[in-house]
Amino acid sequence: MQEKLAGKPAEAQQQYCFHCGGKCRGTSLKSGENVFCCEGCRMVYRILNDHQLCDYYELNNRPGQTQVHEFRSDKFAFLDNEAISSGLISFRDENHTHLTFYIPQIHCSSCLYLLEKLYRLDSSVISSIVNFERREVSLIFNSETGTVRKMAELLNSIGYEPYISLNDLNEKKPAVNRQLIYQLGVAGFCFGNIMLMSFPEYFGIEAGEEGLQNIFRWLNFALALPVLLYSSQPFFASTIKSLKHRYLHIDTPIALAILITFIRSSYELFSGAGAGYFDSMTGIVFFMLAGRILQDKTYRQLSFDRDYTSYFPIAVTVKKAKGEYGIQNTEYRKTENETENEKPEEELAVPLPDIKVGDTIIIHNEELIPVDGLLTRGTAVIDYSFVTGESIPQTKNIGELVYAGGRQTGGRMEILVMKEVAQSYLTGLWSKSGKGGSEIKRSFIHRISKWFTWVVFVIAAATAIYWQLNDPLKTWPAVTAIFIIACPCALLLANSFTNGNILRILSRNGFFLRNAQTIENIASIDHIVFDKTGTLTATGGTGITYEGIAPSHLSIQMIRSAVINSVHPLSKALFSYLDTTHPILTPVFFQETAGHGIEAVFGNSRILLGSAYFVCGNGNKNENQTAVYFSLNGIQQGRFVFSNQYRADLGKLIRNLKSRYRLSIVSGDHNAEQSALKRIFGEETSIYFNQRPTDKLHYTERLQKQGARVMMIGDGLNDAGALMQSDCGIAVSESTSYFTPASDAILKASAFQKLATFIRMCRANRTIVSISFMVSIAYNIAGLFFAVQGNLSPLIAAILMPSSSFTILLITFGSTNYLAARLRL
Amino acid sequence: MTKQNQPTDYGHPVQLRTEHFYYDNSIVRAFGMATVIFGIVGMLAGLWAAIQIYYPQASLGLAPTTFGRMRPLHTNAIIFAFVGNASFAGIYYSLQRLCKSRLFSDKLSWIHFWGWQAIIAAAAITLLMGKTTGKEYAELEWPIDIAITLVWVIFGINMFGTIFKRREKHLYVAIWFYIATWVTVAMLHIVNSFEIPVSFMKSYSWYAGVQDALVQWWYGHNAVAFFLTTPVLGLMYYYLPKAANRPVYSYRLSIIHFWALIFIYIWAGPHHLLYTALPDWAQSLGVVFSVMLIAPSWGGMLNGLFTLRGAWDKVREDPVLKFMVVAITCYGMATFEGPLLSLKSVNAISHFSDWTIAHVHIGGLGWNGFMAFAILYYMVPKMWGTSLYSKKLATNHFWLGTIGIVIYAVPLYWAGFEQSIMWKSFTPEGQLKFQFLDTVNSIKPFYILRSIGGSLYLVGAFFMVYNLYKTMKAGSFVPNEPAEAMPLIKIKSEQKEYWHRIIERKPATLLVLSLIVVAIGGFIELVPTFLIKSNVPTITSVKPYTPLELQGRDIYIREGCYTCHSQMVRPFRDEVARYGEYSKAGEFVYDHPFQWGSKRTGPDLAREGGKYPDSWHYNHMYDPGTMSPGSIMPAYAWLLENRLDTASTPAKIRAMQKLGVPYADGYAQNANSDLMQQADSITAGLKKDKINTASDKEIVALIAYLQRIGRDIKGEQNSTAAQLNK
Amino acid sequence: MSVIIILLIISISIAAVFLAAFLWSVKTGQFEDDFSPASRILFDDKTKPTN
Repeated sequence: MQEKLAGKPAEAQQQYCFHCGGKCRGTSLKSGENVFCCEGCRMVYRILNDHQLCDYYELNNRPGQTQVHEFRSDKFAFLDNEAISSGLISFRDENHTHLTFYIPQIHCSSCLYLLEKLYRLDSSVISSIVNFERREVSLIFNSETGTVRKMAELLNSIGYEPYISLNDLNEKKPAVNRQLIYQLGVAGFCFGNIMLMSFPEYFGIEAGEEGLQNIFRWLNFALALPVLLYSSQPFFASTIKSLKHRYLHIDTPIALAILITFIRSSYELFSGAGAGYFDSMTGIVFFMLAGRILQDKTYRQLSFDRDYTSYFPIAVTVKKAKGEYGIQNTEYRKTENETENEKPEEELAVPLPDIKVGDTIIIHNEELIPVDGLLTRGTAVIDYSFVTGESIPQTKNIGELVYAGGRQTGGRMEILVMKEVAQSYLTGLWSKSGKGGSEIKRSFIHRISKWFTWVVFVIAAATAIYWQLNDPLKTWPAVTAIFIIACPCALLLANSFTNGNILRILSRNGFFLRNAQTIENIASIDHIVFDKTGTLTATGGTGITYEGIAPSHLSIQMIRSAVINSVHPLSKALFSYLDTTHPILTPVFFQETAGHGIEAVFGNSRILLGSAYFVCGNGNKNENQTAVYFSLNGIQQGRFVFSNQYRADLGKLIRNLKSRYRLSIVSGDHNAEQSALKRIFGEETSIYFNQRPTDKLHYTERLQKQGARVMMIGDGLNDAGALMQSDCGIAVSESTSYFTPASDAILKASAFQKLATFIRMCRANRTIVSISFMVSIAYNIAGLFFAVQGNLSPLIAAILMPSSSFTILLITFGSTNYLAARLRL
Repeated sequence: MTKQNQPTDYGHPVQLRTEHFYYDNSIVRAFGMATVIFGIVGMLAGLWAAIQIYYPQASLGLAPTTFGRMRPLHTNAIIFAFVGNASFAGIYYSLQRLCKSRLFSDKLSWIHFWGWQAIIAAAAITLLMGKTTGKEYAELEWPIDIAITLVWVIFGINMFGTIFKRREKHLYVAIWFYIATWVTVAMLHIVNSFEIPVSFMKSYSWYAGVQDALVQWWYGHNAVAFFLTTPVLGLMYYYLPKAANRPVYSYRLSIIHFWALIFIYIWAGPHHLLYTALPDWAQSLGVVFSVMLIAPSWGGMLNGLFTLRGAWDKVREDPVLKFMVVAITCYGMATFEGPLLSLKSVNAISHFSDWTIAHVHIGGLGWNGFMAFAILYYMVPKMWGTSLYSKKLATNHFWLGTIGIVIYAVPLYWAGFEQSIMWKSFTPEGQLKFQFLDTVNSIKPFYILRSIGGSLYLVGAFFMVYNLYKTMKAGSFVPNEPAEAMPLIKIKSEQKEYWHRIIERKPATLLVLSLIVVAIGGFIELVPTFLIKSNVPTITSVKPYTPLELQGRDIYIREGCYTCHSQMVRPFRDEVARYGEYSKAGEFVYDHPFQWGSKRTGPDLAREGGKYPDSWHYNHMYDPGTMSPGSIMPAYAWLLENRLDTASTPAKIRAMQKLGVPYADGYAQNANSDLMQQADSITAGLKKDKINTASDKEIVALIAYLQRIGRDIKGEQNSTAAQLNK
Repeated sequence: MSVIIILLIISISIAAVFLAAFLWSVKTGQFEDDFSPASRILFDDKTKPTN
């Protein structure tokens, strides 16, 4: 017997938090007119209100972050540790300390407003500047009155908890590379002015104005020098590198063309024969740099290269006998459980890399478990959603092994460290991945380019021989002209502009690629492997069905009133599922047994909610389903079954993909969903359950050995190995500011159903580049017609080169945008 | 928070705390007031001039109020007084807020304000007195030019000072536009104003003929670009997002738009000189750059309009946004039309006709005027701490203005087209179909309509004056608006600064500096060589003006004849048929300044010399209607009365000699005797036609000049003909 | 058309000044973040009362 309970109430009656826009569980939390969902939100509001920062709420509607999670007063105590805080500080003198925090919550102009007004909240702040793209706030504070910890706590108090990870300690952030932009600027300046001074020549500057003509020519030469020596560097650098490794890079013929054009032009200038081709040369460099910058567009707010260090905390609390650690103690606090008899113990914030096997570490509620270890005290209710995608927490009892990567939700616990951070099961995944940076994939462009280069050499050689026999004086002009005109820059332009525009279109739609090469990788795959939980199913989006005796209204009301007091994810899910307009009752008795269930008494009714064992006293531990049992006055009533909810339009997407690709599913889960998956995916799809992360990796490897080109789509750290092993790993993420395992691309969960379209877009890339290349070949042939005869005039070059570039730009932008419009992107 | 104001008394450096400061609204108010006053004055002058075109008697027969002097007054008042003051008001308001800093120096602000107003007053007086250099939009004489330079430098110090002491790290894109405005206008003004003073309030352009023309239109177009466009674009990028309360559509586009615009604009100038005696390649250069301009211009326009995407409901409500939408649309239209007009084939039709006038007024009335109104409507309520007195009245102003622009521009487009077609019409027999006067009379109705459109626009402006006045009354002015910010501290780079990096950086700085020094040095060295020794092809028969002709030419310039008469026969069949041989560059080598003109309200005068007898000119100046019935030229009766100032002749000759005009050494002393001799012969000639006049009247000099224009080249033809006959 | 030389020198000098300005602004990170500056100007100054 199944029954769907209590529909959603009318929206009008629901009140939303003034701060974060979350649903309010009643109207008791108020400040003035405004209602709040929790004490935390109200607190933030009051702080802002006291400091006249309520413009925060005017700039955007309900811009805050929910503050439901409670926060430990000594949460940031580890920042008092000199070793840790000095790793975060970028500059310090007796007056100022400079510090940059990463704050993933930054999402709108209200955040910007508030975070740049920090000085109003704390007088030790001297300046705070937000970099929105990178979600960073750069702080300068008074070295005497402020500390790193204070700053972190200040940010936390207004709902912008800085994200401080192990990564911050290890490496200095690489400086932004602006070289290309400088080179583009210089090339643009020189190209513009050279063009200006070349026009008179083309427009027929009169013979009487020789003086002027010469000045123009010499200025052109002077302006071409910085382009040759500075702006063209990227092309020369890759050429030299490629020649050292004895292969032809795509930039090789371009570097050659630039050099030859310059030498030939200089020769013409010095011998007084003509004006040379400086405008063509600089123009090409300018356009190619522009294309390169477009293509190299980086998503600075995203990181494709995250490893465990950016996921793990920078420090962890270690319980130690006094004085055991040499590190200067910064916070001393007696633990609650300390008794007279016990040797005095202290809790120390220790940088994560310093944790050793045998240490006892303390994990507070909502903290991440950074090591594998044995649970020695407390109850572990661990949310492994980031590792596995499964949002329903697992309960562990004392003596059980807990793995790194989970988030504790069951309060304070202690763990005996079994493995050091770098050796933990999870971090091992990264080192295990087979694919390193050593194997560089060569784009098909390189193959064409190589072939093209040889053709040009052949033509040049043939021309040289011909003129050597007929009119030796023409050999040199003809051969150089061939290299000038046959420069495959159009090919490179087509490639970089198409890639750039496709990257732009995809990112607009929530699909971010690591780099342009990924487009080709996506285009070439033939097998797609899906992770299930968190990838095919929505994180947190669980479907609930009720099985059992239909509960009365009063029962529903009691269940709601009971689960409201629990922060357990299942309780929260249940609460929102049972949304009704009935008022919340206050229990006479309430007790939550972490990891088991809730007992609550309303009037003379006693309800139990929780595991089968907790409610019914028996139960199969290896049950395939997640369920919350419910009993009223000791009589079992029924159970709420939590099932996976698949992403919207999944069926349609799969039908789409099935026609072209082989599909597989690797799930770390039990096989409860097998039939549902078979329905969606059909019989031919291989589905594997109970797969450990290494199994996923090996499966991918196996497919590749069979010759498949594999795309892995996953979301959790347990997919990390497979994502890296695959030819193209795509990490699905609910929000781009969340953490994703290292991957080639990040797909916003909301755009998941467009995956097939994205792949089509990437496949189109090659076609568009090829078409553009054909067109540029036509231009080249036209130019070669003049070049082989040895009479390529600068004017013809100046017309052919930009017009071929512009045609390419039109084709690439036009066709990518047209395709995007047709695919509704 | 009393704590924050406590002084620190311990030995450490003073702790940095929130800085409280005040934005200077007084200076903004002053510039705003000036904007309104001079806007009205400038528009009135324009309307008056517009009426004179179909009703010459409206000049009241007074020298200062004739069209030739009103038009420079109108253009100068609108460009430098109205738009200039509006830009200063807008810049000073927004710059303080963008930099989170009071203006650099109150004293400089006020010197800037009063200096600029004094320049405007001086300009108005001198222009009406006929003191003009005769170069369009740069008519002001040398002492005023120097004053402009000084005030501009003051403005620059004040602006850069503010930027240097800013408390906001990022320079918002509007500031870039302001900086570009300052730098470029400074350069343009200085280069175009090279002139050699003859006396107080009289100078000759350093350049001659074609070169002068090129410099002038290089200046003229860039004045449009950097005085009427870039500052206003900067204002758009500040006030539009503020008024709409949403960020600009694409900040990245605004940056690209800026860098592209400033580079391309510089070289568009020669499009004003198509088909003239300017070398072909230079003309083509202008065309290419003008066409390229469309991309950045439209980038800016679209960025403005897209900012309102999804906020059109706000536009319906808010008059400020209404004005801005039309302003930006007009900007888009004008910047589309500009490149179009610079295409040679279109230019052949549009140039010298009223089309150009319509084009500039789309920009002037639409873009500049509406933008100025919008920022006034935005700033006044803010600075007076109230809301606008009447939205309805402002909306009415908006509609009057918009309809005014339409009624102004459409008839003029039509007129320009009709005019040009008529000029170019031939009968089947190959004769010109229309007399010039026919073309004038056929477009008179359009001129009337145009002045109606202008009047509507002006009435709208009066609505604004009333509305703003009432708004000010309702609120109370906040002269110093409190603000607070933290001081700007340089974010230290992530890596520590090593000594070698500083050394590394120095050569780069040195290189840039030395380049600039070299450029300036080279420039100073080159100036005399290039300016004096012109390599424009010379025509042997072209000789310097006689002293009397030179004086006559100065009268021609004084009366602003160039505002209606061109002196440039383009190589078209109709122009050659109507006026004679097309103009050559070599004809103008002694023209300081050139007088090619930009508009043919009257016929071209390049080949005027010898066309009519002296007596015709005499009578024509006294009353044009008697010689050409239906003429719309005003009478210049005072020329018959005024005595010619011969005392200035030696100085003028000497100035010309300095500019390389080959008068014999010591000719300055004898010049006046030559002058009297020539004058006497003209009076003698007039006497034969029963006209009695004294030789020392201005009319005699003017006749001498008019009879000289374009004759030298005829002389060459005659002499070559004579040689052939031998 | 010798005057063109003057115009040219001036234009190139001005362009060079702007190039220097461009390089400076890239170097100091002026164009690093193109969301913040556009939004930042919208924040009205409401000063906190000093007492």
